[in-house]
Amino acid sequence: MTSPPKMRDLAHRLLDYEAGANKSSEPGKSATLRVYEKLRDGLSEFAGAAGFESIASRALALAKTEAPSLNAVRVSADGELHGLGQDLDEMEHPVDMGRDRAGKSHADEGEIILIARILGLLLLFLGEAIVLSLVRVTWPGAALDDRNSENGRKS
Amino acid sequence: MNTQDKVKINKLPTGVPGLDEIVGGGLPEFSFNIIAGAPGSGKTTLAHQFVFANATPERPALYFTVLGESAIKMLRYQQQYTFFDPAMLPGSIRFINLSQVVMEKDLGAVLEQITREVEKANPAVVVVDSFRTMVRKPSSDMDLQSFIQRLALFLASWQATTFLIGEYAEEELRDNPIFTVADGLFWLRQTAERNSIVRKLQIIKLRGQDSVPGLHTFRITDAGVQAFSRTFGLTGHAKNPPSHRRLSFGIAELDKMLDGGVREGDSVLIAGSSGTGKSVMATQFIAEGIRQGEPGIVAVFEERPQAYAERAASLGLDLDTPQRDGKLSILYLRPLDLSVDETMHSILDAVQKIGAKRLVIDSLAGFEMALSPGFRADFRESLYRMIFALTGIGVTILSTVEVDESFTEFPFSTYSISFLTDDIIRLRYVSIDGQLRKIMVVIKMRGGNHAKDIREYEITSKGVMILGKRLTEYQGLISGIPVYTGRSVPKEEPPHRPEVKRKN
Repeated sequence: MTSPPKMRDLAHRLLDYEAGANKSSEPGKSATLRVYEKLRDGLSEFAGAAGFESIASRALALAKTEAPSLNAVRVSADGELHGLGQDLDEMEHPVDMGRDRAGKSHADEGEIILIARILGLLLLFLGEAIVLSLVRVTWPGAALDDRNSENGRKS
Repeated sequence: MNTQDKVKINKLPTGVPGLDEIVGGGLPEFSFNIIAGAPGSGKTTLAHQFVFANATPERPALYFTVLGESAIKMLRYQQQYTFFDPAMLPGSIRFINLSQVVMEKDLGAVLEQITREVEKANPAVVVVDSFRTMVRKPSSDMDLQSFIQRLALFLASWQATTFLIGEYAEEELRDNPIFTVADGLFWLRQTAERNSIVRKLQIIKLRGQDSVPGLHTFRITDAGVQAFSRTFGLTGHAKNPPSHRRLSFGIAELDKMLDGGVREGDSVLIAGSSGTGKSVMATQFIAEGIRQGEPGIVAVFEERPQAYAERAASLGLDLDTPQRDGKLSILYLRPLDLSVDETMHSILDAVQKIGAKRLVIDSLAGFEMALSPGFRADFRESLYRMIFALTGIGVTILSTVEVDESFTEFPFSTYSISFLTDDIIRLRYVSIDGQLRKIMVVIKMRGGNHAKDIREYEITSKGVMILGKRLTEYQGLISGIPVYTGRSVPKEEPPHRPEVKRKN
């Protein structure tokens, strides 16, 4: 079982958006962590910290089956993500911007899978309408419509 | 103080079909309400319906969840209801989880967080679900009474209408301070009766306006909670003044026996054993009404509408055309586990939808059997309420009832419902000249005049046909085994007494 393509695409979009729009706002954090933290804030509000932590833990467990590079990553009791590569190299080569996707490290792929898995679980539990509503409120400036490309993502 | 000086309390739609009627037109704005009941009784669903009916982007709803059902699961399940509009999240409806602050801090911190969120969002509606789990926590720095007082005061001042949801037992009603502070107290119950689940709603308290007292049946469907008021949604409907109009049966001789027909707004009972033509007469009554431009409803329990219409067609009565034209509705009511109030609401909805003037219930025995066992105890009382409500707005009701044919007694109904009816027509078999023949007699017309004749009739391809004059050559006709006396027909006597003034 892999993460749903639609959620992989959405994860890509969010990571692209964070890599591009917010890279100067929180220079110490990778795009993946910023996406994760925003999801955590939004979900914790209505599901509680424990609710988010349980979703994130499950998503991580599923993601590890697809991306062994995530084996060192863990979710703490308050839902914080630890062990994700957020070194300078990643800061200089954010997930999307100008970087050749074919040449991405395995860890980057794992991060996409992790975000896609979180979104996938939300899709499973809450349905597309609520998930997209949540995402739109959290990323009001991001283009989330999938009409611009065959896979729902601008090429 | 005249009416102009009084503060006007706006009434908010509850979003629950039938509940607005029960609470007196809507929920008082800025009221502080409790929804109490056992787990699974529909508390959260009811609160959601209110939230979805009232939240707007300008005045959103804040839905605080505490310990208990996971918010994710709650949303997962609640979105299955048709009232749930995902587009309202999170702009108009925000779910905020308080479990961490409840677990880690005290009631003061809880109040502080609620205050912060309310001041930020300026909500029209606030829900705390489940409030019970929040106040159950021991060792609070803040006294529970003080917490509730301050919460109620704050939320009312911020012009929020509030629902606190909790699992409470009825024994707690006396001592719990929350019930003293609350403006409205909604109690939801569900009990198992034989094989059926019976759900009841009671408004124990509602400040500022009258609510309909008593226990109201409710059901949870894919549309959410639906309540069935004991007043059948007819509160406030103008009562039609008693009419002196007579409604024809479409059976000329019977109309004569009824001094011109059934009085409009009467409840008529046709009682007789199987095969005596009760349904045929009922069909003729409804068909004659349609012929005269009076829309009708037939509630059938023992055969399907198509079969009913086909049987009418065999009597030369076209029920298909008026059904297509919206002048007639044949309701087939064979629900399982439905309450009597729900069934009656189906009838009332149909009556109101087509503006029915005549209603046939065929038959009361079938009606009762269609109900779940738990509701049968309420049958007579509910029937009384429905007949009273419908005849009050001018609908004429004809019910059929099967009675056991006894050759020693002459019962009108096995249901002891004669008191519910204004007029009773009794049909029965008699043994005459080696034949099983049929007779009818008008037993009573409340406040009106009617023939006392016992008339023989037959069921023909044109319906019920009354034969000849009254039977005078027999004695003991109503016993079913008359004795031939050979007495000839006397000179025609005036069949009616002088007109008796009808009671209003």
